[in-house]
Amino acid sequence: MKEIVFENVCKKYGKNLIIDNLNFTIKSGERLILLGASGCGKSTTLRMIAGLEDITSGNLYMNGKRVNDISSGKRNISMVFQNYALYPHMTVADNIIYGLKVQNIAKAEISSRLKAAVEMLELGGLENRKPKDLSGGQRQRVALARAVVKRSELLLLDEPLSNLDAQLRVHARKELVKIHQTYKQTFIYVTHDQVEAMTIGDRVAILDKGRLQVIDTPSNVYNKPANIFTAKFIGSPGMNIFAAAYADHFLKIGKQSVKLPEFWSAYIGKRNCREFYLGIRPEHIFLQNEKRKNSFVGVVKYVEEYGSHCGIYFDLEGHEVVASGTNTALKPGTNIYFTLDSARMHVFDKESKKNIGYPEVCYDNVYQYQSV
Amino acid sequence: MRIESNLKWHILLILALFISLMPIVFAVSTSFKELSEAYSNVLGIIPDKPTLSNYLRIFQELPLNKITFNTLVVAATVTIFKVITSVMAAYAFVYFDFKGKNLLYFILISTIFIPFTMTMIPNYLIISQIGLRNNIMGVILPQLSDATGIFLIRQAMRSIPMPLIEAARLEAAGNFQIMANIVLPLVKPAVISTGIMFFINSWNEYVWPVLILKDTTNYTLPLALQLFVSSEGGTDFCLAMAVSVVTMIIPLGLYLIFQKYIINTFTSSGVKG
Repeated sequence: MKEIVFENVCKKYGKNLIIDNLNFTIKSGERLILLGASGCGKSTTLRMIAGLEDITSGNLYMNGKRVNDISSGKRNISMVFQNYALYPHMTVADNIIYGLKVQNIAKAEISSRLKAAVEMLELGGLENRKPKDLSGGQRQRVALARAVVKRSELLLLDEPLSNLDAQLRVHARKELVKIHQTYKQTFIYVTHDQVEAMTIGDRVAILDKGRLQVIDTPSNVYNKPANIFTAKFIGSPGMNIFAAAYADHFLKIGKQSVKLPEFWSAYIGKRNCREFYLGIRPEHIFLQNEKRKNSFVGVVKYVEEYGSHCGIYFDLEGHEVVASGTNTALKPGTNIYFTLDSARMHVFDKESKKNIGYPEVCYDNVYQYQSV
Repeated sequence: MRIESNLKWHILLILALFISLMPIVFAVSTSFKELSEAYSNVLGIIPDKPTLSNYLRIFQELPLNKITFNTLVVAATVTIFKVITSVMAAYAFVYFDFKGKNLLYFILISTIFIPFTMTMIPNYLIISQIGLRNNIMGVILPQLSDATGIFLIRQAMRSIPMPLIEAARLEAAGNFQIMANIVLPLVKPAVISTGIMFFINSWNEYVWPVLILKDTTNYTLPLALQLFVSSEGGTDFCLAMAVSVVTMIIPLGLYLIFQKYIINTFTSSGVKG
């Protein structure tokens, strides 16, 4: 299995810095997701691993060996391209086994691997068709079959599901995980879709403007985001972030203030953090019908319907905040009262925009809901 | 509306077809006429007394077998050589990265615009000095350097999605494997139509062979044709047309064999993904 280490890796196109000092390790056998908006450098990172892009500076290691100058063919990796890159003049079977033929693998071995891949990816009966006679989902499976017959230690996937419709995507996600469990390759998966990232990944690396923002488990990325970018990027709608202040056990947002529970007061107090950014996810805002002790008040702006629930957008001291709710009848301009789930609050440093951490009680599974 | 506008186009196309076919029909028809009928019945398509005498005469008066063979050797050598070098050069220009690539390509392509008359005399001097005058090698040699094919095939190669090549590279395929297994099958229509263009151009080449070749046995077909057009006793149209027909047959046959690829060049848009 392959472990991959990025050491101070930079990539420039002319004067444009695309990848800025990348340092991280991809563990052998894991499913790592490279997640980010388009243009963030995630595909470039993948292509550097594949050897399809030169590395401007820094070192890339595979299993301890520096591979900067090793050609892609010698790196023993398979890749699924975004548009699948199937050879249009070859049949499905020829597409799948082309690489094996190039490597002069014995015919019997080739046909047994082809059979296994065709079975696994449910391509039986399509072997003699040309790519143009296949549906999008079938093409995607052929591309996967081509990648798995090689039995390489590393499988790179560049947005492989982005051309599929929503239903096929759900199915294909399960299939990908199944493939990983069968062959136990190291998976590196590029996507801009956070649902794919959360469902497929063992770990998620989030990139922004060529910089690694965070690399962590999907659960941590969502529940304990390391910085404001990650907090906003993950979740739909993303986390609400607004400027807040702490003074004397009280949390102040604009002119409103409520008393913080003791564990937060102590935590923030100890860090001498007076002004900061407060983060709270929409589902951790509790809406109320009337004003209670310790509740904030906002003014409803509009309501977005999602089917299972709705997003209620309101104004809180000049910040637009969204909360999950069920009451779609809320009229714009009406007052809305709410409290925050203090165990799910996030505090980010005003300067560095990094998460300052959590009081121990927030990590505690026995912790009970306690509103601010 | 649709039928009406189609009809307009069809009439136009039929007219164009008529205009382009007329000379060929005229040539074939005249080649089977006697000289007297050629003058008296100019426009008649089917000869009153069809005769093969024109064909018999041209083969008797000239070593036409040898001349046809010469023309074939020249055209085939030039075509094969130019297709191979054009494919390899185009591949290098598309898939290799090297310093000065664009400049070199620009210089190479600009040679297309140098008129033949400018290179004619230097070429003639070189060919004379290396002793290839009155030799079909002397006809072949200057025709071998031509950047048109590089331009046409490079354009076709550039339309191949790069991930196809990258996928093959990841499979550890070398450049010759990628060229043979991936690139050539995908640009086949462009290569074949470029080849046919080379063949026909070389087959019809007149001015250069006229400068180089002296003996009739070394002639190519366009030179043989000229013998009948400007002979001192006036032009014998029937003989000239018979030579024309002989000159046409091979390029026409080639075109018929490969026409589906030529049409493909214009219709193929490739498969996404």
